[in-house]
Amino acid sequence: MSLLEVNGLRAGYGPVNVLHELDLAVDDGEIVVVLGANGAGKTTTMRAISGVIPRSGNVTFAGRSIINSSADAVVRAGIAQVPQGRGTFPELNVEDNLRIGAYTRRDGGAATTADVERWFTTFPRLAERRDQRAGSLSGGEQQMLAIARAVMSRPKLLLCDEPSQGLAPIIVQEMFTIIESLSKEEGIAVLLVEQNANLAMEIAQRVYLLETGTIVASGDAETIAADDSIRKAYLGY
Amino acid sequence: MIKIKQGSVGHWAIRLLWVAAVVAFVVYIPTKTTSSTVGDMTLAFEYAIAAMSLNLVLGYTGIISIGHSAFFGLGMYTTAILVTRYGWTQGWTFFVAAAITFVVGALVALPALRLKGIYLAVVTLALGVLFPTLVRWDKLEWLTEGPAGIDSVTYDDVPEWPILGELRGREGRAVFIYWLAVLLLVISYLVARGVVKSRVGRSLIAIRDNETAAAVMGVSRARTKTLVFGLSAAMCAIAGSLSATRLNLASPDIRNITLIGSITFLLIMVLGGAATMWGPIVGALVYVELDARTRKAGETGEGIIGKVFNDWLNIEGSPATLVLAILLLVLMFVAPFGVVGLLKRVVHRFVIILPRPAGHPIDEGHLLTTTEAAADVDGVPPEPDVNVFVADPSTTSGEPT
Amino acid sequence: MDRLFEALFLGLSAGATYGLVALALVVVYRGTGHLNFAQGEMGTLSAFMVWWFHDKGVPLLLAVLMGMVFGFLLGAVTEVTIIRPLARRSLLAVFVGTIALFLGINAYTTGVWGAPPDEVLDSLFPNDPDDFVRVFGTVWRYKDIGTLAVTLVITALLFVLFQKTRFGLAMRGVASNTDSARLVGIPTGRILAGSWAIAGALGALAAVLVAGNQGQVTPTLMVTVFTYATAAAVLGGLDSPGGAVIGGLLIGVGEALAAEFAPGWIGQDMKLGVALLAIFVVLLFKPSGLFGTAKVERV
Repeated sequence: MSLLEVNGLRAGYGPVNVLHELDLAVDDGEIVVVLGANGAGKTTTMRAISGVIPRSGNVTFAGRSIINSSADAVVRAGIAQVPQGRGTFPELNVEDNLRIGAYTRRDGGAATTADVERWFTTFPRLAERRDQRAGSLSGGEQQMLAIARAVMSRPKLLLCDEPSQGLAPIIVQEMFTIIESLSKEEGIAVLLVEQNANLAMEIAQRVYLLETGTIVASGDAETIAADDSIRKAYLGY
Repeated sequence: MIKIKQGSVGHWAIRLLWVAAVVAFVVYIPTKTTSSTVGDMTLAFEYAIAAMSLNLVLGYTGIISIGHSAFFGLGMYTTAILVTRYGWTQGWTFFVAAAITFVVGALVALPALRLKGIYLAVVTLALGVLFPTLVRWDKLEWLTEGPAGIDSVTYDDVPEWPILGELRGREGRAVFIYWLAVLLLVISYLVARGVVKSRVGRSLIAIRDNETAAAVMGVSRARTKTLVFGLSAAMCAIAGSLSATRLNLASPDIRNITLIGSITFLLIMVLGGAATMWGPIVGALVYVELDARTRKAGETGEGIIGKVFNDWLNIEGSPATLVLAILLLVLMFVAPFGVVGLLKRVVHRFVIILPRPAGHPIDEGHLLTTTEAAADVDGVPPEPDVNVFVADPSTTSGEPT
Repeated sequence: MDRLFEALFLGLSAGATYGLVALALVVVYRGTGHLNFAQGEMGTLSAFMVWWFHDKGVPLLLAVLMGMVFGFLLGAVTEVTIIRPLARRSLLAVFVGTIALFLGINAYTTGVWGAPPDEVLDSLFPNDPDDFVRVFGTVWRYKDIGTLAVTLVITALLFVLFQKTRFGLAMRGVASNTDSARLVGIPTGRILAGSWAIAGALGALAAVLVAGNQGQVTPTLMVTVFTYATAAAVLGGLDSPGGAVIGGLLIGVGEALAAEFAPGWIGQDMKLGVALLAIFVVLLFKPSGLFGTAKVERV
């Protein structure tokens, strides 16, 4: 039984359906990457799972159906998202950005504070800027902040929407390293959607290929990476 | 589903029919109805002009203004002062009122339009609140007669217009003012339509829909907005001048020059349908009718309105405002595009005007041809998030060619 | 000198009420992005409720608290049933909606309570002719001190709410980035309703203070106050609670001083005019108000 099971997911915006019968699964502690070009439906998938757009079909998490759950219920169930474009709270300072990530936790202020300090230790650059408005941080720092914020809710599954977008390659490398080590150390499963395949595939166990709203291929990372036609279509070489 | 090609004979036939119906209605009023109905219609046309001016600025530019009552008042007082103090004939005062208010409007707009959305709305609120107090101010009493107001804005006799026939005296005057109102309304309509369909108008809509894109495309936002605001102010002033002529007085107690007046214009615009050409007119007609009826019901306690308000809710006096407020609220839910918007939707189920196929020669100065192709539409449908106003997508006509 | 302090004290009291209503406006604007045109009228309705409770025998202080609860609920219900659905359509729809509420509530209160007899309401503070202190030799009435004190206390409480509580953090989050707020599990609907509810309670308190000051509750109680409060909120910056209160006090004191020292030029009627003109001038130089944050638009 997978941690996350998606079957026949349909979602869209108004009369336009973007996802058609989408199927995928993520196991405990796994890192799964979904590759897709622009417009394939990556962000729509992320939003549908998180419950912020209307969707239909079947989505089960840790054995319970969340297809009809409200967005806050999905977070409480243990899914956190690092949205596309970072999604930091620009007017709030760095520390508040972290604290707000722990909104759904019920284990008290002290535990939250402990976690906040912990992430500041892991990301010293954020600690330096703890009282600064998040909107004034650089892209890479905001991405770090967004990841740390998502992890503050102690999720079992982390959804990452194009974490490499708008970042310099060396920063992207750093991001993926962080995501990988977070997953390994905390045992968090990761579902990552990306346009930029190279670095993402290096940390993934399994890969899905998303094209115009459905999964057209899947397999473990080495097999997909070795496949010439897929490489040509998605990696460009 | 009837499909009619734009510019075809069928299309012209429809337009002609429509114009004929309107003309018939307009002529019917003064010739076949009582003089109180004539008075009501005149009032409605006055409101229509004011609402049209608001429509120009709000419906098409997205600028929220609840201060147009100040411009209305400016027009009213200009006419009153010029006629009583300086002995002008009322005809010329209209021009002066329009000119002065245009300048005032543009001057206000220049700095004010730099402000964003709600801040701008508050400035217009300030205008609306300020004007009556300005008029009452004792330092200006030499000009405005302060709280007493200016009365006897009269003129000797009704001019010799063939259309008035044999009428004289009171009735003659009522009919004269009616036709004056019609004339002014037609002029306002043409001006508004001209602005909307012109390059200025299209750049307005472009600004409304996406300011950044418009700026990038070189549309001069500040100048365009200022010009339109000034024009809108001038148009509203004309309505005010008309009012002074009709009532024979100007006073700070007249509702239409207070904040409530601004709100009434807004209500009428929304009722009829913002960002449509006929909305303000239809809205004004409906409003005047509704107002009269609810007032009567409130006083006599008859009918449903009387029962609900006097007995259940325990309200004394006229429930007119309350009814209208509730109406406005219901409208925003049920028919946010107003009566005209609703009618358009209904009509579009049965009749569609097909736009001219793209690819006909583009002439100089018509860069935004997409708007031209959909000539029967009053606004290009915008993206919902970006705009103050969402134009009704179901009324855009035509099929892809 | 005496006149200066007298004007100052009165101005602070009036300014405090403007500030309180301005606070309500800012809470709503910051929390939901809308200006509640009906804020004043909602307060008036709540004040009439207070009068009604008191008239039925409820002690004044308790009646005021009940009135604030009424205002709280009124705000929440309004947000959920009227504002939120309209917000889905457009900003203009919400604006027109609040204007409709303004007209409607005003018409309702006029219809029900407009005619005599008057709805007498005492001040919350001791208000006999000898209830004052002397500061610098000038009389400062208890009720004026009280109004100012209440406003300052409320402002401090709100500060604590916004900066130190989980709910306040959620409110700031929703205002800053509603999408991300949803993604961290904040029930945004409840927060929006909460903003309106808090504003409703604030408005109710302000209306009670104003009514107590003039001795009775009338349908037009808050109309002028609302205009001043809007000016104050804009002056201070629509997203700054502190700015709203400071703006209110500035306007209150400013107009009191103007009326005292230049009565020939600035009579009763023009007081408002001067206030509004001053706002306009400030906005010319600081389009987002004195303490407001200008949103940077990245092209």
